Amino acid sequence: MGLKVGIARFLGTNCDEDVRKWVLSKSATADYLWYEDQFDPNAYDMVIIPGGFSYGDYLRCGALAALTPVMKSVREFAKKEKPILGICNGFQILCESGLLPGALLRNKDQRFKDQWVTLKVEQNKNHFSKKMTTGQILKLPIAHGEGNYYAEGDTLKMMADQNQIWLTYRQENPNGALMNIAGITNEKHNICGLMPHPERAQTTWMGSSDGAFFL
Amino acid sequence: MSSQTANQTSEQNFEQKLKTYRLSHDEYRLMTSLLARDPHPIEWALFSALWSEHCSYKSSKIHLRKFSYRNEKTPDMDGENAGVVDLGFGEKIAFKMESHNHPSFIEPVQGAATGVGGILRDIFTMGARPIMSANFLCFGEVEAPRMKELMRGVVKGISSYGNCVGVPTVTGQTNIHARFNKNILVNALSVGYFGPGQKMALSKAAGPGNLVVYVGAKTGRDGVHGASMASESFDENSESKRPNVQIGDPFFEKLLIEACLEVLEKEYVVAMQDMGAAGLTSSSFEMASRGGVGLVIDLKKVPLRDSSMSAEDILLSESQERMLLVCEPINFEKLQATFKKWGLDAAVLGEVQKERKIKLMWGPETLTNIDPDLIVEKAPRYDRAFSKWAYPNRTDYLKAPVNFDPKKWIAESLQKLTLNQAHWIHNQYDQRVGARTAKACESSVAFVKLDHSGRGLGLVVGCRPEVMLMDAEIGALDAVYYPALQLALKGAEALAITDCLNYGNPQKVELMSEFVASVDAIAKASHEIDAPVISGNVSFYNETLGENIISTPATGVVGLRESVEDLISDQFQTAFQTLILVQMNWVESWVHVLNSENTISKFKQNAAADVPQFIKKCLKLESAINKQGLNVGSIKAVGLGGIGTTCLKMTTDEIGFDLSFEQANQTTDLFKDQFYGFIIASEQGDEVFTLLNNHFKGLAVEVKKIGKTTEQKIKFSADTEIDFKEFRSNFVKGL
Repeated sequence: MGLKVGIARFLGTNCDEDVRKWVLSKSATADYLWYEDQFDPNAYDMVIIPGGFSYGDYLRCGALAALTPVMKSVREFAKKEKPILGICNGFQILCESGLLPGALLRNKDQRFKDQWVTLKVEQNKNHFSKKMTTGQILKLPIAHGEGNYYAEGDTLKMMADQNQIWLTYRQENPNGALMNIAGITNEKHNICGLMPHPERAQTTWMGSSDGAFFL
Repeated sequence: MSSQTANQTSEQNFEQKLKTYRLSHDEYRLMTSLLARDPHPIEWALFSALWSEHCSYKSSKIHLRKFSYRNEKTPDMDGENAGVVDLGFGEKIAFKMESHNHPSFIEPVQGAATGVGGILRDIFTMGARPIMSANFLCFGEVEAPRMKELMRGVVKGISSYGNCVGVPTVTGQTNIHARFNKNILVNALSVGYFGPGQKMALSKAAGPGNLVVYVGAKTGRDGVHGASMASESFDENSESKRPNVQIGDPFFEKLLIEACLEVLEKEYVVAMQDMGAAGLTSSSFEMASRGGVGLVIDLKKVPLRDSSMSAEDILLSESQERMLLVCEPINFEKLQATFKKWGLDAAVLGEVQKERKIKLMWGPETLTNIDPDLIVEKAPRYDRAFSKWAYPNRTDYLKAPVNFDPKKWIAESLQKLTLNQAHWIHNQYDQRVGARTAKACESSVAFVKLDHSGRGLGLVVGCRPEVMLMDAEIGALDAVYYPALQLALKGAEALAITDCLNYGNPQKVELMSEFVASVDAIAKASHEIDAPVISGNVSFYNETLGENIISTPATGVVGLRESVEDLISDQFQTAFQTLILVQMNWVESWVHVLNSENTISKFKQNAAADVPQFIKKCLKLESAINKQGLNVGSIKAVGLGGIGTTCLKMTTDEIGFDLSFEQANQTTDLFKDQFYGFIIASEQGDEVFTLLNNHFKGLAVEVKKIGKTTEQKIKFSADTEIDFKEFRSNFVKGL
């Protein structure tokens, strides 16, 4: 029986199809979870919140999406310690929902940035790193205007102590993120968020196949 | 008041009215004779909008007929919003390019953003999902007044809109020249995809009794009279035209894309048309005219942002993110529910009627009841005066520029941003959303993977304004040949062309002559390479205070290859590979080097050159290389500024080049423009050299080894070397 994946879909989500293609390529099943509807947390093994511009990024990225019915169910799903992955805007939504610590601010040069980045896997103790080793180097693309990770000093320290810092930028920090943070997890390591897009790096013709390590 | 003064005043009023509605005396006479009466107040507005150059193509239409050539892959779309290419395997694409020059000069961020929004609507109104976008930009000199603000603003507008709607911007071209100081060009292109079995939507209204439905954003005052603004030249007061510029909302557009594609897929829609230039006026008149039916529309039912808007304002508003569609009454509730799901309103404005008349109502009051063809089909057509092209800069004796100093020229070009990689522009675009992108802005040709067949769809934008400045015919041929060559070198066959013809004032004979010469040339070249011109747009009056832009027929060319695997890069891969030049000789000039001194180059033309044949041979090169199992590191067409400039553009942070040891010519010759050639880098230099000689045998083509790739070194000749690190750091710099 294949993995059952729920993919959250808000007004303005634009990586939903890309994530669905990725999930299906792993012989899993994928259902869209519409933002106005709640879902049965027992019906899925995993939830992915894809990137995009939910609500046109009005107010703050992810702020309005965090208040939708579908996120209520995502919270219940999280309580069951089932795996949740937020990519780009999905990461922002998880932070705005309080499911992940910290916040994502405007990039330090105030511009949207699309480029390839080199990442280091700081710890592989989560569901989306099963195929990775700690210390592994990954090449993935980013595309965001608000990826500058920020958290209070105490929170950062606690995150470091609890192995919650998942991925960091190597060579170049593209957005000013504290401690070069590109991806984090919650303390239980079932909820993960990252700014880069693994679904856009699945095979060599895309420029890298390192995104294949995530599922 | 004496009757004489009363007459004078009414005459002044009449002249003022003509001026306001931008209609000539002749056009007024044509209007009254078509109506067989004096126009009603609202009809002035209708004629003004639909007879504007922007909507009616009145100065260009008789020449655009030269683009009627079609082949088996390009069905005749009979005036639909975009051209369509049948790719086989049940896959089709729709694509088109459009200008947004005037609004972008007035308000760069919104002007450019709404340019992207407008071209996307042209694509999804046909039922195709937009899968890639591109742009063609011409700016003035960086130091010209407002120019940095314009450049930054245009890029911001394109990126903020394109990124949010989730369509990757995969390629683009940025040109810088003093002749764009007072009038920039912003051309946007979009490609949409139809998978197997996916139906194409049309804009032909049909079925008397069917509902005319308005969907999308509410109507505001933005863009009122925008179409006629875009149809005249700029003056000192252009800044005051800011309220004519539309404001875009990409979030709304994204919702509109999803909702429209969903109602089309569910077959709730009979016909659909976006509200672009001249808004509700052009969409309703065109839908009726194309469908051979009439429409009854109550303007009081149009959803408004500002309830005090007049009927004329509503008709001419260019508010963004709006569509007009026709649906059967039985499907309306389902259609409305789908739009509601996506957070959008749908309002019934009226219905289709059998009688071929557009009846515009203001509540119970009839404003006009007019045959749409009187305005659409009977619009004036002008055969503007032009003269036969006479090749003013052609010569038999081409002289090299004296005292050319490559080092100085490179340093200056980097300062002026004319040599730089447009990295600062491209990395503000989301190039990979959609997860189809195989090659994007880093490559001379962008490729996306087609969903169903997995084949690679290539896209290049073309036209080099500097070459147009030298010669309008050569420049326009080049706007087709050069992109086709770039595609061929990446193993993709050019299939079809869209164009965006940006010109100055067509009432000036010398400019109309350039227009005609270049339209003829594009038609000729497209026929030769069997890639029909299937869609496009004309933008005249790119003129400010009597100063015209360089005539610029921008093109977008799509091509197809079997897969997206193993695409050969533009950039050097490793050091110590042999660099081989393959060169034919059609046109020789010093256009790029002389242009930086603001001198127009002479050129020498070889009448015997067979460019289409050369392109054909280049297309077969990749398979010839693969057949012999040879490795090629990089391949790139020689661009403007010759071999020297092209090699500079092939460098990476690690790899440079050395052209000093096998070079017989003078360093200056490395910067000469000779159309066309390409550079190939391989570690199997001798084998590839032999293969190239065999492959191009029988064609007047020179094959020679010109140097090697190096580790972080740039050397043109024994005595001309530039600092690698300094060059690279300036090369990637922008604004």
